[in-house]
Amino acid sequence: MMGYFVRRLLYAIPILLGVNVLTFALFFLVNTPDDMARMQLGERRLTPAAIEQWKVEHGYHRPVFWNAAQTGVTQLTDTLFFDSTTRLFRFDFGKSDAGRDINADIAERMGPSLAIAVPVLLVGLACALTWALAIAWLAGTRLDFWSGVLCVAMMSISGLFYIIGGQWLLAKLWHLAPISGYADGLASLRFILLPVVVSVLASLGGSVRWYRALFLEELSKDYVRMARAKGLSDARVMFGHVFRNALIPILTGVVVLIPSLFLGALITEAFFAIPGLGSYTIEALQAQDFAVVRAMVFLGSLLYIAGLMLTDLSYLIADPRVRLE
Amino acid sequence: MSDRLLQIDQLCVHIGDQPVIENLSLDLKRGETLVLAGESGSGKSLTALSVARLLPAAAQVRAGRITLGDTALFGLAEREMTKVRGARIGYIFQEPQLALNPVMTVGDQIGEVLGCHLKLRGKARQQRVIEALAAVGIPYPERRAGEYPHQFSGGMKQRVMIAIALAGEPELLIADEPTTALDVTVQAQVLALLKAEQQRRGMGMLFITHDLGVAWQVADHLAVMQAGRVVENAPRDRFYAAPEHPYSRTLFAALPKLEPQAHTAPVVHDQPLLEVRNLAIHFPVRRGLLKRTVASVKAVNGVSFTLQAGETLAVVGESGSGKTTMGRGILRLLDLTDGQVLHRGDDLRQLSSEALRIRRRELQMIFQDPFAAMNPRMLVNEILQEGMLAQGIGGSAAQRDARVRELLVQVGLKAEHGLRYPHEFSGGQRQRLCIARALAVEPRMVVCDEPTSALDVSVQAQILELLEELQQRLGIAYLFITHNLGVVARIAHRVAVMHQGVIVEQGPVNEVLFAPRHPYTQALLAAVPRIDA
Amino acid sequence: MPTPLLLLSDFAAWLLFLAALAYAFTASRREHLRAPWRRVRQQPVAMVAAVILLAHVGITLLDSLHFAPQAANGTEAEPEPLSVLDFVLTPLRTGVETSYSAPFALLGFDRESVLQADGRVAREYPRLRYGGAHLRDPAQWWLDILQRGAIGAGAGALAGVLLLRLLWSAQCRPWRRCDEDPAGRAAALTLLLLCVLAGLGGALATRYHVFGTDKVGMDVLYQSVKSVRTGLLIGTLTTLVTLPFALVLGVAAGYYRGRVDDLVQYGYTTLASIPGVLLVAASALLLDGLMTRHQDAFSSLIVRADLRLLALCVILGITSWTGLCRLLRAEALKLRESDFVRAAEALGVRGPRILWRHLLPNVMHIVIIATVLDFSGLVLAEAALTYINIGVDPGMESWGNMINAARMELARQPAVWWCLSAAMLWMFVLVLAANLFADAVREAFDPRTREATPSARPAGT
Repeated sequence: MMGYFVRRLLYAIPILLGVNVLTFALFFLVNTPDDMARMQLGERRLTPAAIEQWKVEHGYHRPVFWNAAQTGVTQLTDTLFFDSTTRLFRFDFGKSDAGRDINADIAERMGPSLAIAVPVLLVGLACALTWALAIAWLAGTRLDFWSGVLCVAMMSISGLFYIIGGQWLLAKLWHLAPISGYADGLASLRFILLPVVVSVLASLGGSVRWYRALFLEELSKDYVRMARAKGLSDARVMFGHVFRNALIPILTGVVVLIPSLFLGALITEAFFAIPGLGSYTIEALQAQDFAVVRAMVFLGSLLYIAGLMLTDLSYLIADPRVRLE
Repeated sequence: MSDRLLQIDQLCVHIGDQPVIENLSLDLKRGETLVLAGESGSGKSLTALSVARLLPAAAQVRAGRITLGDTALFGLAEREMTKVRGARIGYIFQEPQLALNPVMTVGDQIGEVLGCHLKLRGKARQQRVIEALAAVGIPYPERRAGEYPHQFSGGMKQRVMIAIALAGEPELLIADEPTTALDVTVQAQVLALLKAEQQRRGMGMLFITHDLGVAWQVADHLAVMQAGRVVENAPRDRFYAAPEHPYSRTLFAALPKLEPQAHTAPVVHDQPLLEVRNLAIHFPVRRGLLKRTVASVKAVNGVSFTLQAGETLAVVGESGSGKTTMGRGILRLLDLTDGQVLHRGDDLRQLSSEALRIRRRELQMIFQDPFAAMNPRMLVNEILQEGMLAQGIGGSAAQRDARVRELLVQVGLKAEHGLRYPHEFSGGQRQRLCIARALAVEPRMVVCDEPTSALDVSVQAQILELLEELQQRLGIAYLFITHNLGVVARIAHRVAVMHQGVIVEQGPVNEVLFAPRHPYTQALLAAVPRIDA
Repeated sequence: MPTPLLLLSDFAAWLLFLAALAYAFTASRREHLRAPWRRVRQQPVAMVAAVILLAHVGITLLDSLHFAPQAANGTEAEPEPLSVLDFVLTPLRTGVETSYSAPFALLGFDRESVLQADGRVAREYPRLRYGGAHLRDPAQWWLDILQRGAIGAGAGALAGVLLLRLLWSAQCRPWRRCDEDPAGRAAALTLLLLCVLAGLGGALATRYHVFGTDKVGMDVLYQSVKSVRTGLLIGTLTTLVTLPFALVLGVAAGYYRGRVDDLVQYGYTTLASIPGVLLVAASALLLDGLMTRHQDAFSSLIVRADLRLLALCVILGITSWTGLCRLLRAEALKLRESDFVRAAEALGVRGPRILWRHLLPNVMHIVIIATVLDFSGLVLAEAALTYINIGVDPGMESWGNMINAARMELARQPAVWWCLSAAMLWMFVLVLAANLFADAVREAFDPRTREATPSARPAGT
């Protein structure tokens, strides 16, 4: 078991390196460090000396990948790429191009992202599973048909509409919740109500269809026929047999999403002015703050790989065929 | 309580507009076994499912009555029917691999029936579960009750199925091909178990099979089904002494006849066409998603034999013996772990990939499933020419076309068939196409991997005839892989018996089959269901 | 004489259309491709969706024929290139008001300072310049709409019937047979309905602003129709970029395994681990920078916007091939164990030929399903991306831009709801049609739900 995880972690390293290379390449193709300095310093303080100083402060004075001025190993190590990569692996994200401490920002903004993402996941899962289970039970009836129609319709509506419509209906018209914004602590409950409701609704259609398909696929398997041949009631077949088997792919599909919860839903956060990691990234992108983008991409990749590992782990726990040999 | 347990009266079942069971009437008395025999597509499984009212949604009962004891089954509401299933009708399915819930322990799956029908709970239930497992011959039942289906072997899984079916103490046991997926040696044990339990409990058994040899061992009465109808219904002895219906007679003819047959011995050359020395093929076992190599499956573990030009060497073994793996390994369609494969003196393992590719022309293969062996998206013409194109033989396009037409006639089809797609042909015709494809490159040796197992009985003989004829005319050597001893007796010169990756005995056919020396060969021959008629 | 102008995206659109026609032609010759499409053809819902989608394709193609109109004598400025659709919709295009106006309104939405007849300046709702300007008596508004609507609908119905007659006779199918073909009937009805709507639109839209006008007075219906091309192109061109990567890499990885597989897996894991939006955003910003630096290379705004659209398709394509690649790799892994591939190997057929002749044709069903499924997702994605400024050029008509601009309008008192609603509604119809069609395609092409072929073994009986 330990060997497995160690191997997975080792495999993660070349991926993270590759991700970093890609990010660097993308950014430095557009902006040279000089351009970045100019953007950050603004027109007023623009002197060659200031640019140089800014570059030294942020470590951009070194060459990107290859330092021809040095000899031996230092040709590789005394570069921006090497330095930033090693620091990323130490989770030292450094300072943003605008001068803020990235680690602190991340710690601060993680909370609001989670405050929205976790309820969305749990509530969404509960609603979708209940609906899908009920519909799979009633498969073939008119209710199933109309439910299917509703799901397709819900899926076909843009997520933006749910957000804008939700804001207009619940906030502006009925004054049930504030349109946007965020507060810390218990007061946040008011502010997360709308984003959570909107996000759950937006993803409900697709999830229900997917879970329904999984349940129906299980229902067509031989062990269900065998369970019925044993004389078990429909309810027992559904909950005791089908649900437990279908839970395996459902669980693994959900678990893989858990790490990405930290990043938050970028669009949702932007629309509802939630100071989470998602909006943090968007702002950084728009300001072309390379240090922040670099850090967020790294974090995102790390979380993705963590998600893959969690998926394997959940298979291990849920499926006895994998657990026991 | 009357003697009659099950009565099926004029049953008619349709799928869509197609009748699949027509005017079927059967009787079963308590304590007796009725065997429903027939080939695939005859409707025997659907009949059994109708009794338990477990037909698939697409099938509808159009007419008829089924009575179990005093109860008319079709008149019951679904809720009442669930009380009948399991408690009065026990059902054993064909594939235990698929029929057992993979995420529930074996004990729980048995316990469900006990809790649902016998209302047992807690300790009493657990006790009964262990008793049930012990009764079907599963060792260490206390421990194994907590294990999952995948931890049991094929034969053990089937025993678990039997335990589940019997747990509710049913009056009627329906067994749908319960031993078809099992090895011959295990089959005998399971059949004995079923018969013993039936006697002990005084149940009636409805037994479905396509194998007349198996039917002999369990039947009191026999009903033969063809295309949804019962064509003959007789007590066992009378049936086996003199079957009346022509269809029954064709079924009889399909039974393997183990009689010594005369073969012309092939010429023995100095250098055999193929010589295999200590061949080994091992697969690393990687469990689940951990991909850890926990062990090696030694599919082929040190096999040696020779094959002369123009002769047929049969390789016999049960499923899992490694014979198919060996066949593919010899052609280097798999990687070999150890050993040598000498073809005309050259070790195939040492050849470069390009040299091997060219050598492939002389070593061809015919696969078991003719449906899967041809690309459904290619015309027959293209399929037959592909080998010629790859090997750079056959000349111009016109010459290749001519050769294709010639080949089609050679294997008993028509020249125009080249312009069709594979799915337009029947199973037997497809297999002929596969043979034509192999012949196109003029091989000296063909590995035949169970070429007749997937075909209907009546077609099997024709394919074997074709292969024999081709051998006589073209002098091709066959490595004939099969589990059917009757086919071996008919077509092979020499035979090698494989068991768990090694050859336990080999020699001329008449010697090995009729005077076996190795205990495994003896057990294999003894387990072949035969009719002492 | 107007000079034709071929934009790059026009070229791509027509190329795609021709490729689709070529596919249809080859599919009709091959039984194994004809059968599943025939199954799709028999579903009424799928046929209705197909007609709607085809209508959108028609709009897109009309909008993909550009020409540079001749400058009117004496003007200095070079007129913007127009498309055939622009030309057809000229009254909507040129009927620009000053600002907002509600659907079918006669008056502007905001008060303006209007010079009265007696010289005073009053703040009142001004009469629109084009919307309902022909009405002498504003009270006759209802009647006028009804009259025009009736005439338009009637004309549309007539045109629809004639069109159906033409199609029917082209297919040589007698009228009587329509009872046996519920799907064909549904399709015909839909076509008729669309013709009626077009007639209605034609009659009313020339005199009124059917969906109102936006902030700068542009007719909203015109904007919506123009956005069709943007949405459709993004949905289809992206797949064009995705396919080569996913196909080649996925199938090769599944067949060759070993190092090739490791490399491909590394590639798509790395790419997939970068949050998609970030990748698109970064690439888009990169592109922005490039374009800003080479301003002079673009002959006009429309060319620049066009290139940005194409670039967005390319970026979306490059960032989203990983999903399909994974599916294809899994399928190729399965297929390589099948007997016919082994048989080909036994015959000495070389690797690339096996990939081309045996693996590729047998994974195409996955490609088709994925392509059709992704379409709706991409159309929706465009709207979201435009919000964070990494979508299409703001000057280009797209639903994303419409939504973006309209977002703040709901906060006004009274709210301006028509721009948003028009965009949402139209997008909903297109995406719904695409989803329903995709469902039917998936059911028809998935081998698990396929019925047994004629001589296949019957299911265990």
